[in-house]
Amino acid sequence: MPVSFPSIAFFQALQGEMRAERDRFSRLGFFDTTFGVRVGSTTRGPAAEFVLTFEVFDCVRVAEGLAGAETDFVIDGSFAAWRDMLDNIHELGGADTAHSLNTLTHFGEGLQVRYDDPDGHDKLYRFAESIQEFLDLSARIDFDYADGSRPPARREKARRSGT
Amino acid sequence: MSYLSTTDFAEDPAFVDRFKQTMKGNLDLSWMDAARERVRCRPQNERRGLTFRDLDVGSYGFTEMPELIRQNRSFAPRGAAMPPGLPDLQAEVNRKSEVWAYNVEGYYEEAMTRQWNATTDIPWAELQEAELPEDIGKAYAQLLTFLTEVEMIATDVPCKWMGRLNADFFEVKNFIATQAMDEARHAEIFRKRALTTGYGLMRASAQNEFNLKFLRDADSFAEASLALHLQAEGMVLTLFRFSEYISPTDGDKKLFRLVMQDEARHVGYGMQHLKWVLDHFPEKREVIHHHLDEAENFVFGGGYATEVMEPFIILSGKGLKKENIEQGVRITVAFQNKQTDEYFERLAKCGMPERRERSRLWKMVELGKEAMGLAS
Repeated sequence: MPVSFPSIAFFQALQGEMRAERDRFSRLGFFDTTFGVRVGSTTRGPAAEFVLTFEVFDCVRVAEGLAGAETDFVIDGSFAAWRDMLDNIHELGGADTAHSLNTLTHFGEGLQVRYDDPDGHDKLYRFAESIQEFLDLSARIDFDYADGSRPPARREKARRSGT
Repeated sequence: MSYLSTTDFAEDPAFVDRFKQTMKGNLDLSWMDAARERVRCRPQNERRGLTFRDLDVGSYGFTEMPELIRQNRSFAPRGAAMPPGLPDLQAEVNRKSEVWAYNVEGYYEEAMTRQWNATTDIPWAELQEAELPEDIGKAYAQLLTFLTEVEMIATDVPCKWMGRLNADFFEVKNFIATQAMDEARHAEIFRKRALTTGYGLMRASAQNEFNLKFLRDADSFAEASLALHLQAEGMVLTLFRFSEYISPTDGDKKLFRLVMQDEARHVGYGMQHLKWVLDHFPEKREVIHHHLDEAENFVFGGGYATEVMEPFIILSGKGLKKENIEQGVRITVAFQNKQTDEYFERLAKCGMPERRERSRLWKMVELGKEAMGLAS
């Protein structure tokens, strides 16, 4: 039974995948941040907001709604931008050169990073590899979108060059 | 061998007698009664393990450490009993405010768990298969040459200061030891990557090296930290993120994500150190401005040298054709704006919002934009 994106079930599934990869995330090191995810509204639904809390080597909390939440930063983008990234990860097993989180957020072309405190913002970079590997775990999740469509099936990646 | 013992132990009767007594089993045991605090520290969070924060108790802790370290001139670990006759090791930095940072103990623990290996954590075999077009390959090799130069001095600076800090600043010394390891690994990985592109190292940068010399030759640790951790590494952090953005392969993206993690941690220390200084010694504000004036002058001279900037333009625009260059210039200017803006954001957060108005860096950015026909 696929989970839907965006939904709390989707992020709980990611949380479960991370727990299954404890050794891998332990090797990446302490991962202490709370950040928000905002997926813009579509004709099929309002904007969706989530808060993810990471502590030591785990994702310890997934919650819905950003109101009143204390976050280091919020990754904000249209549904289309999130879908573009997730489709790419699902198809290739991990983000390619054009779809890494840093690339998509660097100039805010795909996704934007909102923050009040530059110290909190810098945690996106202090934990960059952990966050990327967390998002790459979505390649393993059986999910669909609100319109019933699904991400592309896995193919062998030809991810070497973006030039 | 400039430091000689004042005693020739093998010929000293008192020493030889004491040694013989000990070997006969007549123990002195006075050290057992040394006046010190008995503690049994435990991890507050077992998943995290035993951290420096868990050891922040009484005379062993850092919270109660005074601003001036007058007592300990030796290597005595903080909290240990100090018998008479310990040597004066002449630490040059004995004021807490010159080195301390909020959460320095946390940055240390994070650094220790987030170490990685330039030899084994990068998919070198995959990178070897990636053929880069000549213009991209040469531009990338030049960028890597510049970054290797930068990281070599970034290794030297914390090493230079580590032994000059009073032993009581244990957590700071350990943190800058991790920084030295991080920077050495960065120099290693950029050199390795340059030598796997098929082009090798390109040209060193005189302008860049003037800037690096300024960082190395700072008169005090506080100046070195301000220029290195906050100003230079802050700008290099934005540069690493930009480099990830323009990286030609997945392996290069991973490389830059790993180095940016370390760099962001160093910037975090720099920010928390400046906050500490301004919170405790607000009168130092003007001295800090003066140092930043010169640091920013060097930044302009170093960061905007042709062998530094042109690779960005070529890599951003993905080539040397006219349309590539135009696109590359647009993206590079956006990067410079972002780099400058984030630098002032960090200073504002540390308590120096006026720096944005006072600095000449914006003027320098505007000059660059004018020269490229992109005046705002």
